[in-house]
Amino acid sequence: MRIINRQDIDTEMMDENSLNGAQNQIGVGQNRVNNIATGDKVNDDPSNGNAQNVQPQYTIPGILHFIEHEWQRFQAERSQWDTDRAELQSKIAVLLGERKGLQTTHSDLIRRIKMLEYALRQERIKFHRLKFGCDPPTIDLTQSPDEQALANEIATDADFPYSPVTNQMWERGRARLQNYLKEIGWTETIIDVRSKCTRNLLKLGNAEQEENINPNVNGTETNNKRASESQGMCSQESSEYDNESNFYIIGRDQPAKKSQQAMADALLLDTEAAVMSSFAFLEPADVEMDEEDYMGDDMDLVTGSDIKQLKMKTKGVIVNDDDADAEAEEVLNDLNRLAEGEDANMNMVVNNQRINDGSMKRRVMTGMGPGVNDEEVDSSLGLGELAELTVTNESESTYDVNNSKESYRKTWNAKYTLRSHFDCVRALAFHPKESVLITGSEDHTLKLWNLQKTVPAKKSASLDVEPLYTFRAHNGPVLCLAMSTNGDQCYSGGLDGVINCWNLPNSNIDPYDSYDPDVLKCSLEGHTDAVWRLAVNHTKGNLVSASSDGTVKLWSPQSKLPLLNTYSNETEGIPTSVDFVRDETEKIVVSYKSAVSIIHDVETGKPLLKLTPNGMSGPTDPSKYINRIISHPTMPIIITAHEDRWIRFYDVNDGTLLHAMVAHLDAVTSLAIDVHGLYLLSGSHDCSIRLWNIANKKTCVQEITAHRKKFEESILDVAFHPTKPFIASAGADAIAKVFV
Amino acid sequence: MVMEASQQNQQTQQPIVRRNRPGTTTKEFCQWPDENFEEMDSTLVVQQFIQQMIRKDPSNVEKLLNMPDGQDEGVWKYEHLRQFCMELNGLAVKLQTQCFPATCTQMTATEQWIFLCAAHKTPKECPAIDYTRHTLDGAACLLNSNKYFPSRVSIKESSVLKLGSVCRRVYRIFSHAYFHHRRIFNEFEEQTFLCLRFTHFVTKYNLMSKDNLIVPISDAVSEIPGESEA
Repeated sequence: MRIINRQDIDTEMMDENSLNGAQNQIGVGQNRVNNIATGDKVNDDPSNGNAQNVQPQYTIPGILHFIEHEWQRFQAERSQWDTDRAELQSKIAVLLGERKGLQTTHSDLIRRIKMLEYALRQERIKFHRLKFGCDPPTIDLTQSPDEQALANEIATDADFPYSPVTNQMWERGRARLQNYLKEIGWTETIIDVRSKCTRNLLKLGNAEQEENINPNVNGTETNNKRASESQGMCSQESSEYDNESNFYIIGRDQPAKKSQQAMADALLLDTEAAVMSSFAFLEPADVEMDEEDYMGDDMDLVTGSDIKQLKMKTKGVIVNDDDADAEAEEVLNDLNRLAEGEDANMNMVVNNQRINDGSMKRRVMTGMGPGVNDEEVDSSLGLGELAELTVTNESESTYDVNNSKESYRKTWNAKYTLRSHFDCVRALAFHPKESVLITGSEDHTLKLWNLQKTVPAKKSASLDVEPLYTFRAHNGPVLCLAMSTNGDQCYSGGLDGVINCWNLPNSNIDPYDSYDPDVLKCSLEGHTDAVWRLAVNHTKGNLVSASSDGTVKLWSPQSKLPLLNTYSNETEGIPTSVDFVRDETEKIVVSYKSAVSIIHDVETGKPLLKLTPNGMSGPTDPSKYINRIISHPTMPIIITAHEDRWIRFYDVNDGTLLHAMVAHLDAVTSLAIDVHGLYLLSGSHDCSIRLWNIANKKTCVQEITAHRKKFEESILDVAFHPTKPFIASAGADAIAKVFV
Repeated sequence: MVMEASQQNQQTQQPIVRRNRPGTTTKEFCQWPDENFEEMDSTLVVQQFIQQMIRKDPSNVEKLLNMPDGQDEGVWKYEHLRQFCMELNGLAVKLQTQCFPATCTQMTATEQWIFLCAAHKTPKECPAIDYTRHTLDGAACLLNSNKYFPSRVSIKESSVLKLGSVCRRVYRIFSHAYFHHRRIFNEFEEQTFLCLRFTHFVTKYNLMSKDNLIVPISDAVSEIPGESEA
């Protein structure tokens, strides 16, 4: 259910943004109206011109036209929201279906486990019979009708030959479990960690049992108070399970003296149980939502029957182990005491149940239906191990839910933290093949990082990386980077107006090797002011640069006379960003300070097409300032990131605005697109990076808060690795981060 | 652009947005109105404040070192040192064009000492340019180390002690440049006053012994007491 909530919040947030935008607009409108009265001059409306400075510029038709225009815009936005909502709803339906499926698998697996347990018990009895020639003193099953029903139910299932089937089923179950866990984002490591815990637990077997007595009692008491929270239950159940696993050990250990084997088996069991419990986090959420009333009741019943089981087993073991050595006896005494304690508690539980007779009947009814009850019993058993799990999950529950929501999608997590710059990291470039990243910073340097050479950082999931090489040549902040197609060279542009071409050192270089002046291959000089953007044409190897000297230059870095062409546009002003149009290599697209983007022909430099954002209020609109322009790698689409929080999509062929969305809470600064053109990554001064599924409906798939602010700047660049699953963000806080 | 923006800001009473957007010219870069230290609310306030003052007047050494009230001194020193190391990159860039391993085979200033490069497992006699680069790289790693300086808001006392050795090492870059590449040193110093600022800094916070401060600093500030070590 939380999944849905989250998405709703997201859309709400987005809606709110647009609403704010709308309000701002209205505010502007009001200002204008006010201005009529005061006769103030307002520059940003082209239709009215500045001809009559003294006279009021706004006519009634003008205002009406404005209002009409705004109304149309709101309508369009509203229909957009409606479609978005419908999309989200259909997604919810899909996810719900998915969850239902998973729940079925879950209960199925639990039944299997129960069956295996029963079979094991049978096996032990058989073993005892063989060894001592008599039946083990089984406590009459008739004591508990539930138990018997349960046993019968299982017996029918477990009648067929025991061991081979078990192994098979065991393995199948395990495989399925693991698949499932992988799907929800749990990996083998988690299972390993759990098994390690179990191992520890077993080593400290005796001590643990002693300790367990207390939580046990507490747990049951909470039950008696009919607290419906699962916490108390959990601790009790979990200790119960621990005890159970110990029984297994003792049961096998004493007669056969194969403690190793038994240990291993018990371990296996316990681990599986732990894994089982990790599913259980789906279950309780559900139960809590839907049938809060039932839950407390069912749990009580469960406790009752489980305690009986426990007691039964305890006694069984005691009688079994007449010839057990002293140490074991001690353990058993402990267990016995435990069982007695439980017994007392159980009575209380039973009393409790009697008090709630009415509901009791209902419970018994369901209890008799073997299948359902069985599952419920077991799910609470699974819940047992959940005790610690829920606690740890609580703090990041949204994250986990998110995880399961995106089970079919990749979720990016911060893995590497790249700190070594002294000031804002302005630019990022990944190596086309290797796990190598280059960063450019306002501290005048570029640094080369090999993500495979990490420094283990303690107590944190992210790894620290130290730079392997520092490129020094710029006399000022480095503002932009680009990587050559083969990854041998990289280009950097700086505030000093210079573009440097660097030969990349080996990615395994010693960071304190001696200085090699050949790393700086050449400098491309020609710009007279800051170089803000570089882009490489991957088919020709040409480089295009945008500078605040008002020009865009095309370079061929390999040739003797590198400068090929210069483009400038007097009317639109200074270029802010540039990119090659990917599917037509003879075109570049340049964004200008005027918030207009123009597609130029590379050969002639002629402007071919003008891309104008809708609702431009004047020839220059600083609020729509374009911070970054990129072209889609496979489709004829140009994407722009704007200061007014929008991302806009244009058609390359006719220049129409295909799509526009409020993407962030603050100015969008950077864009990156994956090689397949399916996902768009955007960075913003709101400190977050967002991943968009642009192939399908342009929805936000993930948001990560990544960097801190310095002045009003936060995230300055984002990047996708062309071939490996890495994304990176660069921040004004002098840190770069890599996500996997 | 900045003019326009500020005019509009005055009209609409909007807060000033301190950003270097793509397309900003070199002249306009970071040229926004000052922000009061008290009004800065980022975690990087100290860096912001120091850089703001340097941009205004890099030669006013006294003002630069004038710590705002209530500021943690450890962080203040740390951020200043970060800024020094960052600006020293500029000197290193200049040295790269003139200081070659063949000519400056050792890191020396006066004939008295040969400095060994501490970046290696066993300190070694690196050529001066390597020493410079390694020292700056090492300082960058140390000052950004998650172990010693995990936060830029508060710093452990034990980590503050590390600042002294960083100061001592990076100072050798100044002294080498002064004694062997005087033209570069003078050029750089005219623009940035970095050595002057650094000398004041380490003297004020007692991060280096005065005997080690071998670069004479210009007459303009020699009247300040305690600065006559030469």
